[in-house]
Amino acid sequence: MGEVLVKIQPPDHPVHMPEPAAFSAEVESEIDRHLAKYPVKRSAILPLMFIVQRERGYLDPPGVQYLANRLQLRVTDIWEVATFYSMIQTKPVGKYHIQVCKTLSCKLLGADKITKYCSDKLGIKVGETTGDGRFSLSEVECLGSCGTAPMFQLNFDYHENLTTEKVDRALDSLP
Amino acid sequence: MFIGAIGCEPLQLRRVNLEHSRSLDVYRRNGGYEAIKKVLDSMSPDDVINEVKKSALRGRGGAGFPTGMKWSFVPKDSPKEKYVVCNADESEPGTFKDRYLMERDPHMLIEGMLIAAYALGAKRNYIYTRGEYKYLIDIMDVALDEARAAGLLGEKILGSNFACEIYTHTGAGAYICGEETALLSSLEGFRGHPRMKPPFPAISGLYASPTVVNNVETLTAVPDIIKMGGEAYQKLGTEKSGGTKLWSVSGHVNRPGVYELPMGYDDMEKFIMEDCGGIANGKQLKAVIPGGSSVYIMRADQIIGKDVRMDYEGLVTGGSMVGSGGFIVMDETVDVFESTKNLTEFYKHESCGWCTPCREGTDWLVKIFKRIEGGGGRPEDAQLLLDLCDNIEGKSFCPLGDAAAWPIQSAVKRFPEDFEKHLSGNGRPQN
Amino acid sequence: MSTELIKVTINGRDFQVAKGARLIDVCRENQFDIPSFCYYADLALQASCRMCLVRIEKMPKLQTSCTIICTDGMIVTTQSEEIEKAQRSMLEFLLANHPLDCPVCDRGGECELQELTFDWGNLEERFIERKNAKAEKYLSPMVANDPQRCILCKRCTRVCDEWMGEEAIEAGNRGANTVIGTFGGWLNCSQCGNCIEVCPTGTLLDGTYRHQHRPWELTQTISTCTYCSDGCQMSLGSRGGDLVRIVARDRYVNGHNGEFLCVKGRFGHPFVNHEKRIRTPLIRYQKGGRLIPATWDEAIRFTAERLDKVVAENGQNSLGVIGSARLTNESLYVLRKFATEVVETENYAVDDASSLKPFFENLGGELSTHRDIRYAKTIVLIGGEPEELQPLTGKQIRQAVRNGGANLIIFNSVPIRIREQASQFIHIRPGTEDAAVLSLANADNDALAAKKMGIDARDLETARTAINQTQGDVTIMFGSELSAAAQAIVAQFPYLFAAEGRRVLLHPLPLFNNSVGAHDMAQGKARSAIDLLAGAGQSIRAMYVAGSLLPAHLQEHPDALAKFDLLVVQELFETDTTEFADVVLPAASFAEVDGTFTNSGGLVQRVRKSIEPVHQSLADWIITARLAKELGVDFGFERSSSAVFREIADRIPAYAGLRYPLLKDESNPVQVKHAIAAQRDVSNEMNAIHGSVEALPDEGEKSQVTPSVGHELFKPGTLMSKTPQIHLLAAGNPVPESFAISPLYQITIDDNLKRDPAVA
Ligand SMILES: Cc1cc2nc3c(=O)[nH]c(=O)nc-3n(C[C@H](O)[C@H](O)[C@H](O)COP(=O)(O)O)c2cc1C
Ligand code: SF4
Ligand code: FES
Repeated sequence: MGEVLVKIQPPDHPVHMPEPAAFSAEVESEIDRHLAKYPVKRSAILPLMFIVQRERGYLDPPGVQYLANRLQLRVTDIWEVATFYSMIQTKPVGKYHIQVCKTLSCKLLGADKITKYCSDKLGIKVGETTGDGRFSLSEVECLGSCGTAPMFQLNFDYHENLTTEKVDRALDSLP
Repeated sequence: MFIGAIGCEPLQLRRVNLEHSRSLDVYRRNGGYEAIKKVLDSMSPDDVINEVKKSALRGRGGAGFPTGMKWSFVPKDSPKEKYVVCNADESEPGTFKDRYLMERDPHMLIEGMLIAAYALGAKRNYIYTRGEYKYLIDIMDVALDEARAAGLLGEKILGSNFACEIYTHTGAGAYICGEETALLSSLEGFRGHPRMKPPFPAISGLYASPTVVNNVETLTAVPDIIKMGGEAYQKLGTEKSGGTKLWSVSGHVNRPGVYELPMGYDDMEKFIMEDCGGIANGKQLKAVIPGGSSVYIMRADQIIGKDVRMDYEGLVTGGSMVGSGGFIVMDETVDVFESTKNLTEFYKHESCGWCTPCREGTDWLVKIFKRIEGGGGRPEDAQLLLDLCDNIEGKSFCPLGDAAAWPIQSAVKRFPEDFEKHLSGNGRPQN
Repeated sequence: MSTELIKVTINGRDFQVAKGARLIDVCRENQFDIPSFCYYADLALQASCRMCLVRIEKMPKLQTSCTIICTDGMIVTTQSEEIEKAQRSMLEFLLANHPLDCPVCDRGGECELQELTFDWGNLEERFIERKNAKAEKYLSPMVANDPQRCILCKRCTRVCDEWMGEEAIEAGNRGANTVIGTFGGWLNCSQCGNCIEVCPTGTLLDGTYRHQHRPWELTQTISTCTYCSDGCQMSLGSRGGDLVRIVARDRYVNGHNGEFLCVKGRFGHPFVNHEKRIRTPLIRYQKGGRLIPATWDEAIRFTAERLDKVVAENGQNSLGVIGSARLTNESLYVLRKFATEVVETENYAVDDASSLKPFFENLGGELSTHRDIRYAKTIVLIGGEPEELQPLTGKQIRQAVRNGGANLIIFNSVPIRIREQASQFIHIRPGTEDAAVLSLANADNDALAAKKMGIDARDLETARTAINQTQGDVTIMFGSELSAAAQAIVAQFPYLFAAEGRRVLLHPLPLFNNSVGAHDMAQGKARSAIDLLAGAGQSIRAMYVAGSLLPAHLQEHPDALAKFDLLVVQELFETDTTEFADVVLPAASFAEVDGTFTNSGGLVQRVRKSIEPVHQSLADWIITARLAKELGVDFGFERSSSAVFREIADRIPAYAGLRYPLLKDESNPVQVKHAIAAQRDVSNEMNAIHGSVEALPDEGEKSQVTPSVGHELFKPGTLMSKTPQIHLLAAGNPVPESFAISPLYQITIDDNLKRDPAVA
């Protein structure tokens, strides 16, 4: 045995997964509706992740435990799927998530300018969240708005043919 | 944005510009659900497949596989459930036609799926839509509810013995899930990795059951094929590719949009310069990527004065491919080195990570592009890029690897001047 | 695979191959080397490394030979400039983000990536960019992880999913960011370490061995595991008299367990060189006094004199001899010989959890080896929990179901984990296992048995039909829950169920590595250890124990040990048994001796000396032989275990004709030939269990909870407790709150942990 220099901390409180998240009856029935669509529960994993994400901001550990219980999977199964898909958030994001399309057609028509404008306006870099947790700014790949470029998606809403004025209008009118 | 037909009567785009075009009412008043009625009244599943075969309809998802033939691969006597899955993952850069079909004419997709489900004996069917198109999923859900209420879904459809359900399903941000086997993995609730072929989905697809995956545009063509007959549909296009095709046009043109053209429309120059209103801001044409980002980029001089015919064979002759029909037009100000870097970043981001050449190759390619951009280019880098692409092409698990290689190969070869001007740097890697 | 032959042309030569053969296998069998990382026998196809490319005529692109099934007339090229370029480029891609610091990597010297790079790679590096950085970490007390070295062949995740059924480790993230890991970064599983074993690179590493030795410094010795009755083959890595590592495979070993080991086999070896090993013989000159170190001569003389005295005063039968089912066949044989031929006592016993005597006396068919299990078409499991107690058996069952399409029928009172694989899980009440046997033996008992087991009688009919319709092998396994009578009936099942095209094989699930061998060596002369303990201080005045007595048995007669006039114990460690010993003799562990173990499938396999016996310890049989000599009988084995084995082969029919050289090849193990008993009337036994089943209550709770992974594996027994990490696992594998990994140091447990009653 080698020298004892690094120690595993004694488990004064064994680390278990937290209690699963709980949702309102309404959300539960929405989840049931999704589960009913498939012959195999696991198929509902993405729709359910979106719901957990909507309700809790991101897939937090209680949310993950909830999904695992609900789908009869292991938490690691949730992890492997969640981290594959770029729309599934495993870390907290801002209340408003601005996702500027950076792929070719948008880029040709000035996506960079839009990103820079948002970045300056909010005082954050791409990949960051404002201090108040209101805005996150990301660059994403083609969102299917090439004919109406440049564009960003603000949470789920498409804002197309963007100009700096339109960006101002979109962001300033948010509650 | 323009949306309409050029050079033919609008077929798939017949209703998109009508008021309330997405309502069941408008759909029905404009010929909707007549095809499924005809099918249920007078056609056997084999009749339907034959009609689709006669139509020479080729899959619009990118691969152009004959749809009737694909349907005929599904084993009739298999005791397993069968599935029709609509591929509405539309994530190919420059492609946005499926989006407008679903947004403005959702019932056409439902009717197409019903007919396919009837032909294949499928009971539960899914529309796999990319997660970003959430608003489309909502639109489809409303349309599905309308259809259900009108007896067009569920048991005893239109009074017949045909029973069928269609559900929406959401993706969550992964281009690879447009690849049909990856889509099925994703629909089963797994990571969106492609699967080995064979077995092809027609034999063992969703839940290991026979499954047909078709693009939105493919399925929405089916009602018209049934109504007008396969032959008439085929005659709209060419012998080998029947009907009309939607092209999504973006980039430096005056009139971007979704254009419905007859298959075999000639020629490409006229299409860009006249139909799409020419190059924006009075600039000159430099390059076109005609089939979504995953095809060879074309130089202006491969188009101007060359009578490139717009169908599968014509574009191959012209030096590229139809792909998904995503037409990206670039003017003289574009640096093709940069546009290629942009696309390479896309492929790196979207590589699923399953196989070596694509996962490591795209990562490395992006690093090389960044190094060159940061002033670290060396003359031998053009060759290195080509060699790496050659090492990816044809060796990856699924076609995404090829799709990443082709844009670079064609750009380096066809726009050497744009690369050369970056390749006299100091050869030092960037951080 | 069918026997129909088809023609395949490889590199211009024609071969006849079985229809359905896989191209990569065919090429390799015919000495055409094909490199691969992701292709792995018995694991799901992955085809992701793209190393195994070949050209097949009429196919447009290079094809992965791992995915190609040969067809008649196929023309294949495995070597050409194009193929070599492709293979070179795959290695170039794999190495792009891979650190090129083999000298500091633990896998250096036994790394498949390194080897294939030498054989197929490009020596010039074209990648000049910065490599993606990923931090090193530990995934569990046993498993260290250096993600940057990962080539994503996913053998680890597949082994975990498909062999272990644990799905503990998976791939996360996407594209170039893909990593192997878990939610929360901590591996909660049975810690079998098979992910480490199959990892071709230095990504998953043995955290208990890391950074201490280089593989080429180790002396590798092939031996048999000392823990359970599966008898896994393993390679013991020793250096300078220390056993430092155990792996299943060091590219020479490929026993019946392939590259499989469990947490005990792989990580349970620190007891061998443990500081608490008994160093010298010890004598307690006075009851209640201290054990005082002595020389061997002194200890043997002292023991012999005292034994003589007891026997002289009270007769031969006042001496009891008990051997442990952990000892080698040689030690048990010599011990039994000592009991029956030297002192001629009738009181010889083997201390095992349950006796296999009724089973072997009625044995109506062959034993099923683990390979037989893998290819069985129907497996019936009555009681037992192989995944925790005989992990290799558990793995083979999974393989049989997954890859062989076997039918698995389980009778168990607990919803054990492997029921996930079962085609039929019959959830019975605790203690009603005999009822299952009763009904399988005779359908007339279905109603009674079903009532007692708390199940639907139709389930029994379904099970019986499945067995009776099987084409191929049926393996019947049973745990130690069965009564002696029920074991006897099961042993006769081959006569009941065998038919044209169907073999019925039997597989007992005893607990110890040499339970079967211990039975064989006793030659029917063993009594029960509990009975001997019951006679302590009365009919039995002196006791000679090789190994320790099972805690459960000691508890039945708590003060028995104190009652002997003389208690002699051979042991590795001071245990509950040595506490009252008058003489303690230091025995050598399995790693220090030569010998054989006989596993649950009847395979007799070699135990080989990896290191010299530590301190003054001696092999158990040598101690016994010295004692015999002191008592005047020279066995004449001259310190050669092979001489002992020769006598075993001469005297015990099942071992007839065997010699050590015949047992040389661990990939071709030898099954001993247990005598097959004739078909006989088991109505006495049937009546007996009919009575006991009838007496069972009609009510009773069934456990609804699936026991957690490791609930048996992580119990720190005398040997396992010497592996520090096992205490962490036993405490629920707590996640370390924070620790930095410095590659030069091991994770070791805080000593407080062991003492803290809250976690113990
Ligand atoms: C990387 C990749 C991405 C793809 N993306 C899409 C897509 O977004 N939409 C689509 O319909 N087909 C896509 N495809 C094609 C599908 O694999 C499949 O060929 C198609 O859905 C079949 O439908 P079709 O026969 O109607 O064309 C993609 C293929 C690949 C290789
Ligand atoms: S080519 Fe390979 S890594 Fe790339 S997307 Fe396909 S399977 Fe995944
Ligand atoms: S071994 Fe065939 S692709 Fe890896």
